[in-house]
Amino acid sequence: MLTREGIVRLLDDAGVDVVAEAEDAEGLLRHVRLARPDAAIVDIRMPPTHTDEGLVAAQAIRTQHPNVGVLVLSQYVEASYALRLLEEHPEKVGYLLKDRVFDVALLLDALRRIADGETVIDPTIVSQLVGRRRREDPLAELTEREREVLSLVGEGFSNKGIAHRLFITERTVEAHVKQIFLKLGLAADPESHRRVLAVLAYLRASA
Amino acid sequence: MTFGRYCRIAIVPLAAAAGLFSVTTAKHDPIWAFGGGSTLGGIAELGAGWSLVGAGLLFWSRHPQNRFGPLFAVAGFAWFLPEWSNPGVGTALGFTLGLVGLVACTPLFAHAALAYPTGRLRSRVDVAVVASSYAGALILLGLLPTTVFDPKGAGCFQCPQNLALTRGDLELFEAFNRYGLWIGIGWLLALCVLLAWRLVRAAQAAVVVAVALVPAIVYVALVTWEFQRSLARGILGNDSFDQGVWRLEALALGAFALAVVGGLVRDRQARASLARLVVELGEMPRPGAVRDALALTLGDPRLELAYRRPDTGRYVDGLGHLVDIRPDRGQAVTPLLRGDVTVAALVHDAHLSDEPGLLQEVLAAARIAVENEQLQAEVRAQLEDLRASRARIVETGDAERRRLERDLHDGAQQLLVALFYDLRVAQARVEADADSELMTLLLSAGEKAQTALGDLRELAHGIYPAILAEAGLAAALETLADEAPLPVELGNVTLERYSEPVEAAAYRTVVEGIHDAAEREATFVSVDVGREEGRVIVTLRDDGAARTSPLVHLADRIGALGGSLEVGETTLRAVVPCA
Repeated sequence: MLTREGIVRLLDDAGVDVVAEAEDAEGLLRHVRLARPDAAIVDIRMPPTHTDEGLVAAQAIRTQHPNVGVLVLSQYVEASYALRLLEEHPEKVGYLLKDRVFDVALLLDALRRIADGETVIDPTIVSQLVGRRRREDPLAELTEREREVLSLVGEGFSNKGIAHRLFITERTVEAHVKQIFLKLGLAADPESHRRVLAVLAYLRASA
Repeated sequence: MTFGRYCRIAIVPLAAAAGLFSVTTAKHDPIWAFGGGSTLGGIAELGAGWSLVGAGLLFWSRHPQNRFGPLFAVAGFAWFLPEWSNPGVGTALGFTLGLVGLVACTPLFAHAALAYPTGRLRSRVDVAVVASSYAGALILLGLLPTTVFDPKGAGCFQCPQNLALTRGDLELFEAFNRYGLWIGIGWLLALCVLLAWRLVRAAQAAVVVAVALVPAIVYVALVTWEFQRSLARGILGNDSFDQGVWRLEALALGAFALAVVGGLVRDRQARASLARLVVELGEMPRPGAVRDALALTLGDPRLELAYRRPDTGRYVDGLGHLVDIRPDRGQAVTPLLRGDVTVAALVHDAHLSDEPGLLQEVLAAARIAVENEQLQAEVRAQLEDLRASRARIVETGDAERRRLERDLHDGAQQLLVALFYDLRVAQARVEADADSELMTLLLSAGEKAQTALGDLRELAHGIYPAILAEAGLAAALETLADEAPLPVELGNVTLERYSEPVEAAAYRTVVEGIHDAAEREATFVSVDVGREEGRVIVTLRDDGAARTSPLVHLADRIGALGGSLEVGETTLRAVVPCA
């Protein structure tokens, strides 16, 4: 409750139009159906069991309302949940740690990216996956810059977004991404929305 | 040597003599004979009489306190008596006995059959019917007509003297016989009904007894038929029809005697199995063996043996599992005592209580075996208690960890988030006032709050991984591999869900295994989790230095679930039963 009130206040202050608030999954789905917002912010823990109701609701929104983006907030650094969210609908979704949202700039950026059809994955999760200890680490093949680019791809940034962040040209990013996919033997199209899921699944699978 | 034994030894030549005497008498005067007139009849006569006496003696020697044995042997003698009413018997005493005991065999035999195998009649109805059959056979058809029967007056001049004769009265003699036959049909039918009822009752509990009762009923029914047919004639006779029925009767008696001997042989085998059990004690008979041996010995398949735990006073079976002592209809409970203390309770067929001494005798033989198994059952029950208590301790611990994790998330973490938010607001205001020193302080405070949040999250996850309960072992182990300080290779990991304690135990095994491998400077750990015959098997392998820690806490946790932990130098294998 504390978090919801805070987020509403933050978004109001930032000029974002908050059309509705809901107590539980049922209320959330009803408001989404009526208000058709650009995006919904969903806590992964909701009544009645406080386990993964938020994740189930997020998937329901994405299935029933393809135009509505969903940002899931969680207190867990759990790649499993993020992957579960991405598996069925690899775009217009986000998975952020709860404490992230009080960084207004970050929250607004995430909402904007989701509304634009991108994916947002919390950097903590991506860095944990990238940092996972491997016996024969294929990531060792990558240069420092390539690893940076890989992490940003995993966080869901577009080539344009990556270029903007790293202060390099979009074409350079494109070249890096192609190189990374080649080195790691990733089969997915490096330009598609599905590349986020492909990268995360790859990072998780190669032990 | 006991009196009973002298009797039994004396009876053997007596029975042999009585049989041979009967057959020679019959052969001497076939016109008056029942069965001895022909070779086949002679064999039937001797076979039936001797088998009754033989089976009776055998039973008597096995069960000296039981009335059935002597009763059955006497019935065997009585079987020969009708033959002595033959004029060729030669002696007045024999002749008189033959007249009085003409139908003595029937009530004696029926009495024995009704009392088989306990030697006692079960109810007042039994007693009344048996008593009237004795009266009807020995007095109305035996003694009374004999007292008025003058053989010479009836035209038998070569007949010996009738010692019981008071005054010859042929009319009265015929009247006694006629009424005797009419009343006889009454008590014979009553005997038939009682025997049939006994057969129905015994069929549920003791099949052996039921089998023996069939020829008994056949015999009484044959006698009834003979009586019914003699009504027209007014007197029991020995025409060719009578002789035919009489041979069938001999056959039925022989069959009953055979069943009695069969029951004794089976008893002996059952007792031998009980004795074997006592001998086998040194080799630890399997749990429940005592019950099975007792059930066999006592011929009661529904028998139950429950041991009383001295500590709780509750009853357990041979395996140590709690049982209720609840006798069904027709069952009784006999407590087994050591001194004044009940050590066990036997739930058995109520009929077994009818034979005093049988239960006591069998239980005395099984005493050592019973006490031995009682001790083992007690130990097993205590072990089971202990295991359940260990499992409860582990479960309580897990529940507590889970509660702690939720408290951290819902309490401290929420507060930190709120603090973080307030700091952000403060930063925004300070930014407006352009106080750079305060701004630096607030930024540092914000960073610390965020670090604290991260630490708290890790702490909560370490206390209890929420993902384990929510998404299962496979997902939780993936996260474990994400965070591990060394490469963790997840091989085959079952995607099935198990009970919370089982999943927690498997998860802890991997956590401890990874931690231990890291301490022994391994460069990787491989993990497999599979299911095999109702058990979850967790296998860890690494390349670190040889393990020195026995991982006692982990072994305790696994042991609490009835599982086992095999700790090798660089391997770890936990086997946890999963229902």
